[in-house]
Amino acid sequence: MGTKYGGYMGRYLDIDLSTGKVTDYEVSDEDKELYLGSKGLGARILYDNLRKGVDPLGPENVLIVNTGPLVGSGAPCTSRFNISTKSPLTGAILSSNCGGNFGIHLKRAGVDGILVRGKADKPTRIHISEEKVEFLDASDLWGMDTEETQEKLPARAGKIVIGPAGENGVLFANIISQERAAGRGGAGAVMGSKNLKAITASGKKKVSVVRQAEFEKDVKKWISILKAHPTTSETLPAYGTGIFVNRCNATNTLPTHNFKRGSFEEADAVSGEALADTMLEKNFGCVSCVIKCGRRVKVEGKEVKGPEYETLGLLGPNLENPDLERICEWNYIADLMGMDTVSLGNTLGFAMELNERGLWESGLSFGKTDGIAEAIENIARREGIGDELALGVRHLSEKYGGREFAMHSKGMEFPSYEPRGAVGHGLGYAISNRGGCHLGGGYFIYFEATGPITMDPHTTRSKPEFVAMFQTLLDAVSSAGNCQFTSFALIPKQALELKPYGAIYRTISKVMEGAGPILKLVLKQPGIMPFTLPGELIPHPKNISDLTGMRMTMGNLLAAGLRGYLIERMFNVREGFSSRDDSLPERVTREGQGGNPKWVVPLDKMLPRYYDVRGLDERGIPKPQTLSRLGVKV
Amino acid sequence: MAVVKYYASLRNVVGKKEEQIEVASLSELLQRLSQMYEGRLARHLKTTTVLVNGKNVIHLKGRRTPLGKDDIVSLFPPLGGG
Ligand code: SF4
Repeated sequence: MGTKYGGYMGRYLDIDLSTGKVTDYEVSDEDKELYLGSKGLGARILYDNLRKGVDPLGPENVLIVNTGPLVGSGAPCTSRFNISTKSPLTGAILSSNCGGNFGIHLKRAGVDGILVRGKADKPTRIHISEEKVEFLDASDLWGMDTEETQEKLPARAGKIVIGPAGENGVLFANIISQERAAGRGGAGAVMGSKNLKAITASGKKKVSVVRQAEFEKDVKKWISILKAHPTTSETLPAYGTGIFVNRCNATNTLPTHNFKRGSFEEADAVSGEALADTMLEKNFGCVSCVIKCGRRVKVEGKEVKGPEYETLGLLGPNLENPDLERICEWNYIADLMGMDTVSLGNTLGFAMELNERGLWESGLSFGKTDGIAEAIENIARREGIGDELALGVRHLSEKYGGREFAMHSKGMEFPSYEPRGAVGHGLGYAISNRGGCHLGGGYFIYFEATGPITMDPHTTRSKPEFVAMFQTLLDAVSSAGNCQFTSFALIPKQALELKPYGAIYRTISKVMEGAGPILKLVLKQPGIMPFTLPGELIPHPKNISDLTGMRMTMGNLLAAGLRGYLIERMFNVREGFSSRDDSLPERVTREGQGGNPKWVVPLDKMLPRYYDVRGLDERGIPKPQTLSRLGVKV
Repeated sequence: MAVVKYYASLRNVVGKKEEQIEVASLSELLQRLSQMYEGRLARHLKTTTVLVNGKNVIHLKGRRTPLGKDDIVSLFPPLGGG
């Protein structure tokens, strides 16, 4: 145990709920160098601790909650913790990132991460302190919503909890910490299956810093960059992530009518601007955040967390619903019940289309808001049609038909971006290891439709290479323990002032289209970047170096991101996943958007190139030489 | 008449969501807006992304993008989120 590196507490705990045994779990310094922490290291540990084919909701599944070195270090936007487990929604690897306070408190208790296995014989809360791990009876909390549960727990502790959805095995139940969610893929159901209602942590330990003075300078600089950048200092605090509603609507990437269309007549009514004008009480942020993208709104006279972009899009236009108040109300109910609003919005939209086509009389219709609040509660309690809705889109499509418009990949429903208006983003949904997801898929829409510098959204030129590069960068940022939204400041303020409609931007866009070979070279040999970049561009490597004492160059950072993807991929391969699962529904690969046959996601054209850049064979399996080049042991 | 739509902080600067303006190209529109809103908009126009009918003008003809009747010009400040 212990570690030579700063940033880490040097301790992982292996907690068995069946036996009540707690042991130290050895994570070597070499694995920290290779995978950093959080998402990447979580995937490594999961790979090493799970057999092929275990039931995600059985006692053999392992739930990993861990942090990255930056968490609790004082660097901005670093309260993030990660959950890794086998997803009950997809059967694939799941990692889910959350900005609540649990990660910081876990480190204060002197622990970088925990593995929870087995199943308790009654509802249980685990409490982790500097001295010990306790198993506490949580029978009195069972059945409570996530807000009430947290209120009953010690005020000063970091907490993660589940609601009724997790207890009742809703396949997209989430885990809540404060008002933030580890949302996707059903980690809440995994907790519920273990009779684990909550985990709390407290302590007074501090994160050690190797080069204190330098690190303090780095942090100051980073904060000043985030505070001066128009994206992170103006738009996100003022409008939250909902600012994307109008932008996606304008670029035909706002899912409407179960992703049938990319724009909604009444989008403005559910936009970040409308939220700011009508319902916003104030903004809020995760602990340690200087951006503060969260919203607080009033629902029935009570101030509660407001909806994020994903929720606005998927409970709004995707259901043909222009009623912002209803969305705020449904969002609040879903949070109380502990379920993912992305899967929820998709599942409701799919059930509406099934109903519209006469395939399943769900009673749910586009544009009809009555009954939705009840449906959400019924999903959580597995009552009425809620019992089936609780299993998500894939299940419904297998039972009632409509696979061609079942908007998921590997069983995970799509986030709120219509991919026919941004084909690289669509590729990301198909090749993300956890299934249809923008964060695991490189979030390339930012460079196709929603950001300041965009490539032609329909071209495939250099898209596979860019998607692989941004996936790698985001994976590395997550593994270090940082919020991915800090990446919005990566296009420096000065570059934004070059008039985004002028000749310079047009040239950059063209250059990007030809950048594929260079990106491929860097991804194949990240060692050709043995340097750090100026703080204005990518501050992470220098910060990690000064914090941990590791030699963290751009190349090393990218290599850590690459390894994380490969070990996740190997997990899925072991479970039987292959290229046939890197797929998208026909609605986006065959049905031309707006009747234009050219506006589809040409996945077949991009997939082989993506595999090549990643060093995967034609079945999507990592080649032995790719694994050995990066030191990924399997 | 092109329809000019403003988003996010630009709405606060100009005090409206949209308006119709008679111009023949984007550069003419940008000039006109600078005159109409004087210094208030100038700082923002340096960082504004411009879409015409949903397409970023860097994929059209940039400042020389022609504007005609019913063209929709969307003006966005730098965004992040999702
Ligand atoms: S930017 Fe938003 S999600 Fe990220 S740490 Fe800050 S408040 Fe949390």
